[in-house]
Amino acid sequence: MSTRHRRENIIWVGMRQLILIVFSIVALYPIYYMFVTAFKTRDDWLHHQFGFPNPITFQNFTDALSRGNIPLWFQNSVVVTVASILITTIVSALAAYSIVRFRFTGRVLYFNSMIAFMVVPPAVLILPLFVFAVNVGLVNSLTGVIIIYSGLLIPFSVYLLVSFFRSLPTELFDAAAIDGCTNFDTLWRITLPLSTPAIVTLVVVNALFVWNELLIALVFLQSEELKTLMPGLTLFKGHFTLNEPLIMAGTLIATLPMILLYLFGQRLFVEGLTAGAVK
Amino acid sequence: MISKRFRLFSIALIMVMLLSACGSNAAAPANEKVDLTFWYWAESDAPGADAWMTETVEAYKAVNPNVAVNVVPQSTDTLISAFQAAATAKSGPDIASQWATGPVLGFVWQDALVPVSDYVSQDEMKNWLNVDENKYNGKYWGAPMYLLGIGVMYNKDLFTQVGVTAPTNGRWTWDEFTTACEKFKAAGITPFAIGDKNGYGGAWWFANVGIQGLDSTEDLRQAIIGNKPFTDEKYTGWYRLLDDMVKKGYFNEDVMSLDLDQGVRLFWEGKAAMAFGTDGMIKQASTDLGEGKVGVMKTPKWGTGKLADAGNATQSISFLITKWSKHPQEAADFLAFMHTPERLTSWYKHTGVIAADSRFDRTLVTSDVLKQMVEFETTGPQVWLENFLPGQIDGDADLTAGQTIFAQSGSPTDAANLWQSVAETWRNQHPDELKNWQDWKQ
Amino acid sequence: MSRMKPASTFLARLPRTIEPYLYLTPAAAFIGLVFIYPIIWILQSSLWQNNPDGTKGFGFTNYRLIFEDPVFYQVVANNGKLLFAVPIMTLLALFLAIVLFERVRGWMIYRGIVFMPYILAVPVVGTTFVYLLGLNGILNTLLRGLGLNGLAHDWIGSADWVIPSIAAVIIYREMGFGVVLFLARLMSLDKEILEAAEIDGANWWQKHAYITLPQMSAVIEFFVIVELITMLSWVFAYVYTMTGGGPGFASTVMEFYIWKHAFAYRSPGIASALAVVLLGVTTVLIVLQLRLRSKSLEETL
Repeated sequence: MSTRHRRENIIWVGMRQLILIVFSIVALYPIYYMFVTAFKTRDDWLHHQFGFPNPITFQNFTDALSRGNIPLWFQNSVVVTVASILITTIVSALAAYSIVRFRFTGRVLYFNSMIAFMVVPPAVLILPLFVFAVNVGLVNSLTGVIIIYSGLLIPFSVYLLVSFFRSLPTELFDAAAIDGCTNFDTLWRITLPLSTPAIVTLVVVNALFVWNELLIALVFLQSEELKTLMPGLTLFKGHFTLNEPLIMAGTLIATLPMILLYLFGQRLFVEGLTAGAVK
Repeated sequence: MISKRFRLFSIALIMVMLLSACGSNAAAPANEKVDLTFWYWAESDAPGADAWMTETVEAYKAVNPNVAVNVVPQSTDTLISAFQAAATAKSGPDIASQWATGPVLGFVWQDALVPVSDYVSQDEMKNWLNVDENKYNGKYWGAPMYLLGIGVMYNKDLFTQVGVTAPTNGRWTWDEFTTACEKFKAAGITPFAIGDKNGYGGAWWFANVGIQGLDSTEDLRQAIIGNKPFTDEKYTGWYRLLDDMVKKGYFNEDVMSLDLDQGVRLFWEGKAAMAFGTDGMIKQASTDLGEGKVGVMKTPKWGTGKLADAGNATQSISFLITKWSKHPQEAADFLAFMHTPERLTSWYKHTGVIAADSRFDRTLVTSDVLKQMVEFETTGPQVWLENFLPGQIDGDADLTAGQTIFAQSGSPTDAANLWQSVAETWRNQHPDELKNWQDWKQ
Repeated sequence: MSRMKPASTFLARLPRTIEPYLYLTPAAAFIGLVFIYPIIWILQSSLWQNNPDGTKGFGFTNYRLIFEDPVFYQVVANNGKLLFAVPIMTLLALFLAIVLFERVRGWMIYRGIVFMPYILAVPVVGTTFVYLLGLNGILNTLLRGLGLNGLAHDWIGSADWVIPSIAAVIIYREMGFGVVLFLARLMSLDKEILEAAEIDGANWWQKHAYITLPQMSAVIEFFVIVELITMLSWVFAYVYTMTGGGPGFASTVMEFYIWKHAFAYRSPGIASALAVVLLGVTTVLIVLQLRLRSKSLEETL
């Protein structure tokens, strides 16, 4: 390699580092800001919005925990997320398997309509769902939102699983059939274990979706003790407009478990997220 | 293989059980115990109100051990929409909070409420103030807690510093006001602090400045039901005054980055010479800037309508008993408990806002500036104009037109046209509500 | 398919024509409840209009009313403007993924950092950015510090900047997903071709434009679709926590407008008509999309 070439290379290496550092700062700054603000007194924040807390206070955290219901909201979010994902994954795996392994009337229509439902905005569905929930007594119940979330996630999940199942070698299925496996056994014992990457992806994507959902939770979960984290935090924010450090402490408490989970399970998130999607 | 299938089946079964367990919201087994859910909003008007309510619930429990009141604080942004959803679902709190008059009547017309006056004795209610704000069909639909007005609070030190003297009669003309603003601006002090990110800054201007062109709330109703155009000078001409002030830089420049309360906070910090303030906000200002450092005057006068001289005191939030409540009597009893003299005194100690009750001991008000407010609030006719708008016109015209001017994304004419078109949209979309407004004799 | 143990299970005895439907039923039940029933409901409800006497009339009045409502067009335009964030986000993510892919020192750490915003909840991101993007927030403080006063806008408070600002916040949170996705695909590519191209003297641009990108079309398409859907159907939480639709209607999007009519303004008819329109738009998008990739769909099935 010529020296000119090498020098260009060094510049490019430096530039790449610079670009990545800039992007990293942008990505981390809001988190840093949340963190720093949460330890500030109200007065300190008003006069020194940026920079380190002086003095450092833990009052915001004790206030956030005593004046809001953050731990309870957190628990509700966990229940809703876990239940929705369990239901979605099982139901979608069954449907996807059927689409891939059988030739039946309405198959293409079924799959195409799944793709179409993928883009239906929840805002379109929310009023009829609300009226329906009122009639059957599912307003203000976690069951109600779990059913809705599961339903909303199914089209995308089926779509993803169909693409993945299709990529599995057909010989496997044939061999299983020759061995006398029923279709259900094939799905349960062969297809699903082989599809672990896709299922991990599905779980991560869907979990993030349910965890973050605001509109449905806002409308359906009105009583304080049934709120999930997102509407809870929104309410918390609306209630303490004049205490920004307290709001930031609340959001930090709500975010911290996710950040910790991420730091310790980065591979699960990053690689899991892509394993099933990139084929 | 069968066993595996059973395993799956049992997982599904467990899940179903789990779901039905965590979703149950059924009524508690019937015994003597009464649970009341109270969707409560007051803290934004009167800082300290939440703490007072906690104390009140405890005190009530001591007298009525079988009644548990579960207080759920509400947020300003969702006060109407959350209760609207509850009213559609016909399930929700036993006691709700809504702003008086328009919003309350909206729910009366939806058949979501029972009259408070059906459950509270006349003997008790005769002490409550401003109940007429929620009078409809000869009944009273809401319980008041406090009486709140809005004045222009000013920083006495900054006035002295710049050489501006407060009006001797408690009120400036518009010219005197803008002249003072110019002086502050020249001295590098923000003349008037406000926030309008959430639209309420503009709404306060409508209620305090916009009102001055009108002779009565009937004037406003005529425009709402379409008999007069909102583009008429008397309704929306005042946006020119606001526009002029924005253009001249008489407001803090980050109006649109701040919610109303955050804007008012600039005044508390001594960063602005004037701001709109409720009794509670004035009390807070006196705490932050020092007792005796804060003065209050009426909103400067520009208009010639009969309401130009009216006060703007309102009960603001009203507490309502819902139609679906299983314990309306217990709910009413709790509302009456909130009006016991001991509770009224405690209310004032917590908030600095006077209680809406003739039994409230006004000698508790010792600060000059708050005494001045009480005088404004209890002399002459009182109208809080925003309460006389249908929710959609308030949300889509009142709040947004103010933002249009503050953000300078439109002219005063655009703001006037917005009122007109939103009102027209509302009339077209809600012929049934329109009928109620047409029939409503104020 | 042979049946060596035909009697052993119930499922095995099912006629082949019924079995697939059995697997489909649970999903179909959810879809029926969560999608089909509500869609039929709004189609119907959008045709019922309020009469002054409290009764309901049947007709297209609700549609006429929303098309006469000037705000409606502004709201649609706002959603349209947000779509422009998708190509920007995709290009940025592609660029970062390629930079990371070129064995930059510490790439795994960078990847972890860049992805981090994606795990933050939308209301958390929205709330924080409102402080950062305020007129006296950190961004403007920084710009003014650099002497770039002319660039310090009222990001959330001005009608011109509010949509770009919300778009930027969405890009902030969602881009990491794209980076991780693209990077994973890049790492699965055949490295020999790239090396061969380098030896042949292809420059950075040629290498990626002619070799890398074509091979990534499927994953790029996947990301673009996911983000287009996000922009049309999932921005409520951003708007709700950042601006409440203002100033004026400058950041009101369809979801927000539907929610307002359905739950704050008690107009189920109008909300339904708006919902039908939004549904129409997304359907057109997806049909176009299906047409475009009809070939690959045939492959899929």
